[in-house]
Amino acid sequence: MEAIQIKGVTKRYKDVLALDNVSLTFEFGKIYGFLGRNGAGKSTLINIIANRVFADGGEVLIDGIPANENMAVHDKIFCMSEADLYDRDLKVIEHYKWTKRFYSDFDMNKALALSEKYDLDVNKRFRALSKGYQSIFKLIIALSLTVPYVIFDEPVLGLDANHRELFYSLLLKEFEEGERTFIIATHLIEELSNIIEEVVLIDKGKVVLQESVENLLEKGYSISGSAAEVENYCAGRNVIGIEELGGLKIAYIMGEKTALPKDSSLQISAMNLQKLFVKITEKGGEENE
Amino acid sequence: MNKLKSAVFYGCLTKIRPLVIFYLVEYSISVLIMAIVVLCTGKLEAGSNGLEVASAVFLSVMGALSFREDFKAFLQNGFTRRYIFLSTFCSFLLVSASMALIDTLLGNLLHHSINYFTFFGMLYGYGNMLFNWLWLTLVYATFCSIFYLAALVVNKVGRITALLIGVGIAGVILLIAALFRFVLSSELVSRIGRFALNAFGFMNDGTVNFIFPVLTFIVIGAVFGLGSYALIRRTELK
Repeated sequence: MEAIQIKGVTKRYKDVLALDNVSLTFEFGKIYGFLGRNGAGKSTLINIIANRVFADGGEVLIDGIPANENMAVHDKIFCMSEADLYDRDLKVIEHYKWTKRFYSDFDMNKALALSEKYDLDVNKRFRALSKGYQSIFKLIIALSLTVPYVIFDEPVLGLDANHRELFYSLLLKEFEEGERTFIIATHLIEELSNIIEEVVLIDKGKVVLQESVENLLEKGYSISGSAAEVENYCAGRNVIGIEELGGLKIAYIMGEKTALPKDSSLQISAMNLQKLFVKITEKGGEENE
Repeated sequence: MNKLKSAVFYGCLTKIRPLVIFYLVEYSISVLIMAIVVLCTGKLEAGSNGLEVASAVFLSVMGALSFREDFKAFLQNGFTRRYIFLSTFCSFLLVSASMALIDTLLGNLLHHSINYFTFFGMLYGYGNMLFNWLWLTLVYATFCSIFYLAALVVNKVGRITALLIGVGIAGVILLIAALFRFVLSSELVSRIGRFALNAFGFMNDGTVNFIFPVLTFIVIGAVFGLGSYALIRRTELK
């Protein structure tokens, strides 16, 4: 099977259960948004997929091959990390050369062209780059590698709006040019909503949702009106959040939209991905309190 | 295999700059001391002896840093811990062999020109350049592996526990010294001493055996290497 399969992965750090029997699949040829609040377990799962930390239980398969300590998956996956793992004393160009040695699929010309586009001085040492440019450097390496699975962990950290836009457009161009899987872990959900096809939402070490963006946006909506009317409407529906503003009540609902009752003063609105994310993770938080 | 070769190259080539700086600093200091000696005494003599000790210190630091820096870089580039271990120890051997070659050649040249004494020469004499280089290579590689293992232990158990382990090791050394002095019979102490001297090539009949110290350092290096492998297999990115 062409996919990253995560089967029953559990990871504990002392008293904290970072991942609790997580199972999910990242299929080949899709762009995923991997979302979750701080400490939800995103980076832990990414680190397990990338063989940087070990799972206490379960396994990760990449195209059916176990990913744990296995060089057979080396040319299948690349993970751009939020953490700085590169030698800080090497120049950008030296890093490109080493990446070319380590990965046969690294396109040096593309890396140099992207560096020019981003105005990244390839003769600077990694330590001399600003936080934003360190992110750009890591992005360029990830975008210049044509491996089947590329994971971006907080790819736009420290990038200004122009550079973020450039990244999104380059990512889409890459995806159009050669089918592969991009998994993007980020907090900037709205910026991604036009790019990603599927969302995986993780909260408190558990996958709480995996669905296409299209379906999610179709299913998620809000209803507002007087408290009594909203409560009536919500009966039997999957309410993921409620807000009250004076006499006005807003309910956030997941599920099929049905016609509003006749003469109703209720108003129905679409929900954006960020709101949906906030409400689902809030709900998870309340349930666990 | 190609990936391992690339990793070994990375381990070696990224050390060239600090290595060049080290030799520049080391020999500049030696030349400066020599100049002062010449100015003060009028005699042309070596500024310092046994510069291999400085190389061993440099390689110990490199061994410790190899874990801190290269481990992260290799994980970033998708290498498994087995590959990281193999490439690290191959690069230790290559860097040690290169430095040993420089130190052997320069040391012997300086010995015959300005009365400089190499560490190997002081112990075993100046007759055998090949064993001088081999012995020094293994000594350097052993220092690398000891400090690589130490860095792995510190990473695994944390600084405070590592400090406590350090204190414990110092305590054990003191106990062993006391054991030798007050508990063990003089016959046994003498036998252990003879065994240790033999292990480092100093035979009972006063001759020198070059094979024994080589074997001894291979065994010591292998013990620390295996310890490092056992630890790195379980080491996670922090």
